[in-house]
Amino acid sequence: MGYTITEKIMARAAGLPSVKAGDEVLAKPDYVIAYDFPGYTDVYFKSMKEDFGIERVAEPDRFAIFIDHMVPATSPKEEELHIITRTWCAENNVPLFERKGIGHQVAAEVGYAVPGAFVVHFDGHISQLGTFGTLAMGIRRNILEAFVRERISIRVPHTVRVDLEGELQPGVMARDVFHHLVRVLGPSSCRFQVLELGGPGLSQLSTEGLQTVTGLAMFTGAITAIVNPDETRLAYALPRARKALDPVWSDPDADYAARHTIDLSAIEPVIVIPPTPANTRDLKDYLGLEVQVGYLGSCASGRLEDLRVAAKILAGRQVAPGFQLNVIPTSQEIMAAAANEGLIGTLVAAGAFVSSPSCDYCFGRIATMTQKQRAVSTGTLNVRGRMGSTDSEIYLCSAASVAAAAIEGAIADPRKYW
Amino acid sequence: MPLQNLRGRVAFIFEEIDFDVDQIVGVKNIKITDIDELAAAAMQDYDHDFRNSVRKGDLLVGNANFGYGHPHYPPMRAMRHLGIAGMIAESFSPGYWRGEVSMGFPQVSCPGILGLVRRWDEVEVDWQQGRVTNLTTGASLPFEPLALADRRMIEAGGLVPYLKQPLEV
Repeated sequence: MGYTITEKIMARAAGLPSVKAGDEVLAKPDYVIAYDFPGYTDVYFKSMKEDFGIERVAEPDRFAIFIDHMVPATSPKEEELHIITRTWCAENNVPLFERKGIGHQVAAEVGYAVPGAFVVHFDGHISQLGTFGTLAMGIRRNILEAFVRERISIRVPHTVRVDLEGELQPGVMARDVFHHLVRVLGPSSCRFQVLELGGPGLSQLSTEGLQTVTGLAMFTGAITAIVNPDETRLAYALPRARKALDPVWSDPDADYAARHTIDLSAIEPVIVIPPTPANTRDLKDYLGLEVQVGYLGSCASGRLEDLRVAAKILAGRQVAPGFQLNVIPTSQEIMAAAANEGLIGTLVAAGAFVSSPSCDYCFGRIATMTQKQRAVSTGTLNVRGRMGSTDSEIYLCSAASVAAAAIEGAIADPRKYW
Repeated sequence: MPLQNLRGRVAFIFEEIDFDVDQIVGVKNIKITDIDELAAAAMQDYDHDFRNSVRKGDLLVGNANFGYGHPHYPPMRAMRHLGIAGMIAESFSPGYWRGEVSMGFPQVSCPGILGLVRRWDEVEVDWQQGRVTNLTTGASLPFEPLALADRRMIEAGGLVPYLKQPLEV
């Protein structure tokens, strides 16, 4: 019996010749990544010193900190937190990435998506590094273990393999594919397991599209997602990689906890209704529902292909009167590319409010909604109060569906503008 | 110190699958930090009299994928403040599980638990035997063994005290 890519990466990280799903090991993460947020990094930094007497981390290059929330700061208190972060990074000689964009995306851009590497974060959306064959897990507060010890205790996860086949219909995006997957497999289908994507239909999704799918894996219950490397994704990751590792692939006879096949050609645009990411529905059943706010951005869906699709739909058209369309490219690199392509100009001319990369729109720190307002959003989550008032509502959908809704001021089918 | 068996009444059964724990205090109360205020808000949508009927050592029971969504810590802080000593569910969502285990709060994944107990039954979680027993009816079920690190974290009373212990391989 062969091994999954996850078992191979865990074996190397644990310094063992081989491991199998279910084994409990001590594994050394190649990278320990975090973003600063009150009650998280500030607490870890303090705890390291006060509880564990760690004044300096031993291998600074294994750590990376991002300042992507509370950007820009809107109060002295927020800026104070950033100062704590900058000071800790400077004292520890740990790389700090500030105002480069949303960390999960920037992590790939600046070389932490090393094929074959094991990466931990407290936030689960780091799973999107799995696009590049990196095993990246959000381990919540247990990240403190990775800050104070060289190795973390971890159980090697089982893997659920999902093979994609068929061709996507026009107007259907990676975002629809992911929410369709939650609907078909269920919100606990990959519980405590790794979601491994494969199959001939994989080529239907761009690298960016795969980042969308892997980044949202937690809503299937998965602890991360991973894709076996191919030429295109290696061509992106290897020149940027911060260390040289041999990429690994699942063996053809690897042992999977379950296998599923998804027919991409059967997927139509979907919408996820509040208040849980488990609520995937057919978009066509919600057409005409009035919405006042649109958010195109987040670590899940503010990449170049999302902006291209939105610009294509909005070119020569106008956002509905009174509708607030917020377009936030995921990173500075993406924003610059979008500007060079003319996408930003098109979106602004259509009436979009375009702003620099920040996590803050996704959790309602900026562009907060009040009661009775309703948003279409490419953010990560639609729980009550995520983007402001607990009496506002968030409908998750693709960038194309957000753009179509912006034109009509109501949920609309993107295919008629495609 | 080995884990102490849990023994208490089933103070509430959350029958909803994929239950979002934030509902326990209500999303609008999630940012409350005062523990008494938080405890006062807890369970108001489910049982107004909960805080008067619960007592120290009581347990909670949940359905499958308990803790799905975007779980925050205040709901279970409130529950512990009211005396709740642990949580038994058909299964747990990983994010919730990790979060609460790191707080040293005992979690027991026990497929079949909903069929084993009714509200206010007296139950026992026997860590050694790996079984949940309904002391009221005498019926029992095995539960899923904890990962070693999870067990040690609960034994230690949470992540920080766990990490202060020497690393055992």
